[in-house]
Amino acid sequence: MYKSVHAWAFLAPAGLFLLVFSLGPAVAALILSFTSYNIFEPTEFVGFNNYMEVLKDSDFWRAMFNTFYYWILVTPALVVLPVFLAVLVNQALIGVKLFRLVFYFPALVSVVVTAFLWGWMFNSEGVLNYFLSIIGVEPVKWLTSKYVVMPSLAIVTVWQGLGYYMLFYLAGLQSVPEDLYEAAELDGAGFWRKHISITFPMLRPVIFFVAVVSTMSAFKEFTLMLTMVEGGPLGASTTVVYLVFDEAFKQLNMGYASAVSFLLFAVILALTLLNKRSLDRE
Amino acid sequence: MKHVKKWVMVLVAMVMAIVAGCSGSGSKPAGDASPSAGGGASKNPVEITFWTISLSPTFDDYINGVIKDFETKNPGVKVKWQDVPIDAIEQKTLTSAASGTLADVMNLNTDYLKKLAALGAVANMDKLAGDVKKDFYEGIWSAGEFQGVSYALPWYLSNSVLLYNKDILKKAGFDNPPKTEEEAWQMSKVIKEKTGAYGSTLKDIHLYLPSNGVPLISDDFKKAAFNTPRALEIFKAFKQRYDDKLLPDEMLLGQAKAQEWYAQEKIAWWSTGPQLFRQVKDLSPQVYDKSDAAPALLGSTGKVHVAIMNIAVAEKSKHQKEAADFAKFITNAENQLKFSKIVAVLPSVKKAAEDPFFAEGKDSKDPAEKGRYFAVQQLKDSVNNIPPVENISKINKAINDEFHRVLLEKKDPAKALSDAEAEVNKLLK
Repeated sequence: MYKSVHAWAFLAPAGLFLLVFSLGPAVAALILSFTSYNIFEPTEFVGFNNYMEVLKDSDFWRAMFNTFYYWILVTPALVVLPVFLAVLVNQALIGVKLFRLVFYFPALVSVVVTAFLWGWMFNSEGVLNYFLSIIGVEPVKWLTSKYVVMPSLAIVTVWQGLGYYMLFYLAGLQSVPEDLYEAAELDGAGFWRKHISITFPMLRPVIFFVAVVSTMSAFKEFTLMLTMVEGGPLGASTTVVYLVFDEAFKQLNMGYASAVSFLLFAVILALTLLNKRSLDRE
Repeated sequence: MKHVKKWVMVLVAMVMAIVAGCSGSGSKPAGDASPSAGGGASKNPVEITFWTISLSPTFDDYINGVIKDFETKNPGVKVKWQDVPIDAIEQKTLTSAASGTLADVMNLNTDYLKKLAALGAVANMDKLAGDVKKDFYEGIWSAGEFQGVSYALPWYLSNSVLLYNKDILKKAGFDNPPKTEEEAWQMSKVIKEKTGAYGSTLKDIHLYLPSNGVPLISDDFKKAAFNTPRALEIFKAFKQRYDDKLLPDEMLLGQAKAQEWYAQEKIAWWSTGPQLFRQVKDLSPQVYDKSDAAPALLGSTGKVHVAIMNIAVAEKSKHQKEAADFAKFITNAENQLKFSKIVAVLPSVKKAAEDPFFAEGKDSKDPAEKGRYFAVQQLKDSVNNIPPVENISKINKAINDEFHRVLLEKKDPAKALSDAEAEVNKLLK
């Protein structure tokens, strides 16, 4: 009894915060998604109308496509590449701490600053096209072509996320018992064999965690799209969250925007459950 | 079990305290509280709030001065001024409207004004301030209308003039800047060939069409009116210009800033309000020194589009009369003239614009001063080309998107126009 009271006492402040600032608004948004709320006019209950309209809206499906496309570009890279980075900076080398810092550095830069920096790099007369011109390659329309814009934005995200996810893997690696590697070496295992048979299986929970977290953040991404290209060119980088922002705060269709949010929520939930099941089965 | 109950009670009490703390907005306004206002003023003091967009701290002295004058002339009325950064104004308006704390008097741009007018958030100005209508330029007053009713008093204005680079023009063999859009594009081609710099640039087409004889929406505001042979001609001409590489992608998509390109001598001229010329001066004083001002590039109608900052009164204001009085006061000739003298914006009332102050600058060496002279001269031919309908930003977007498709995706111009027309008709329903 005594213990549970204390537990509740410690949970209460954070729980209250969560209730007022996360759960409360989420429930409110769910209710709003069934209304015509636009702040100014009287609110009417419209049943599933918003959802029906969203599902008929070609902008929504394009945004959904863009979001999945971005996810496919970003998440595999962010799940796999940081493992190698973590293995590298987990070596006992002189100055390895400096490398850890350098790799982590992009994660410390704010997204808006990142957007500006990469905006200059991607400029039609920017650094990247300059280097390409030296080796005789035609300038690439990094941000002005609807086919290239998403890969360009994905490059920025991966650049910024590598160091961040590396930290999780590094923590995971350091909890792998050293004697496993020693035993493997005795059995004649080389560098790759050790990592494939020991590192990756031992890191599985971290891989799952990184996959889920990077999936969720890929589905939520919108700052880069807003600051670098405003969802363009011609809607090619309008993600679902960007659409929600536009509908809610530019067009004032709060009910409609809430409905879009909940459809996105359903998709993320489904993906997370799928991810978890496939990992559990293994 | 007892303990648990006690903790639950504490929790409930905390939630109640927070909820109570959040719900202060329903309380009485500051001024209504006490009946003991004392001798002088006959009524209880009334407090109205006033929002401006990005005017503080540069214009603190001016705005505070106007407020002080107003309070002296209207004893018993207090004005509480708050300045909101331009990026935050829409958000601030929304959240305040949702919590019932919208300002009594608001500074709004024309697009947003129409949105709020359609939602019934701003008050009818024909009723509250119809007496001052005759003081304003007609083409400018009408910008605050929505379905035949005025919802704002026009405040300060800016229309575009031209800032051009004399050096680039000379290198391309031109002594004078272009006068019309048509001429500007012809010159752009020569300039691109001879100097590598661009001439005119363009992002959106929704303002170009009306100033070239293609209204966006029918007179009764019920249908799209831009699917015409003239519009098709315009789309085709731009397609040709794009293919001739006269229109850079980054400008078209709004990813580059014209003032930066001008300061880097990547474009030969920049159409903008003279009050923004100083941005070029800040970025590159050398390029500014090579620059001169000229009147706006005219489309086939000869009318110049004017951007307007409006003053509106909230429909739910508890002190509409006082709020309207203040709106009239800050937009009167005297106060607008004072404002125009400290910053290069234009007044919306005729009497202020006729002041000898605006006759100066014709032969000024400073492009900004000269630009202001041209801008004032253009006022009588100025119109606001934004149609008074609710979904105007969506409508503009629909037209611009199709225009961009013609250029970037080689879409057939006729098909693009009819697709845009269908979309706009849907938005007007």
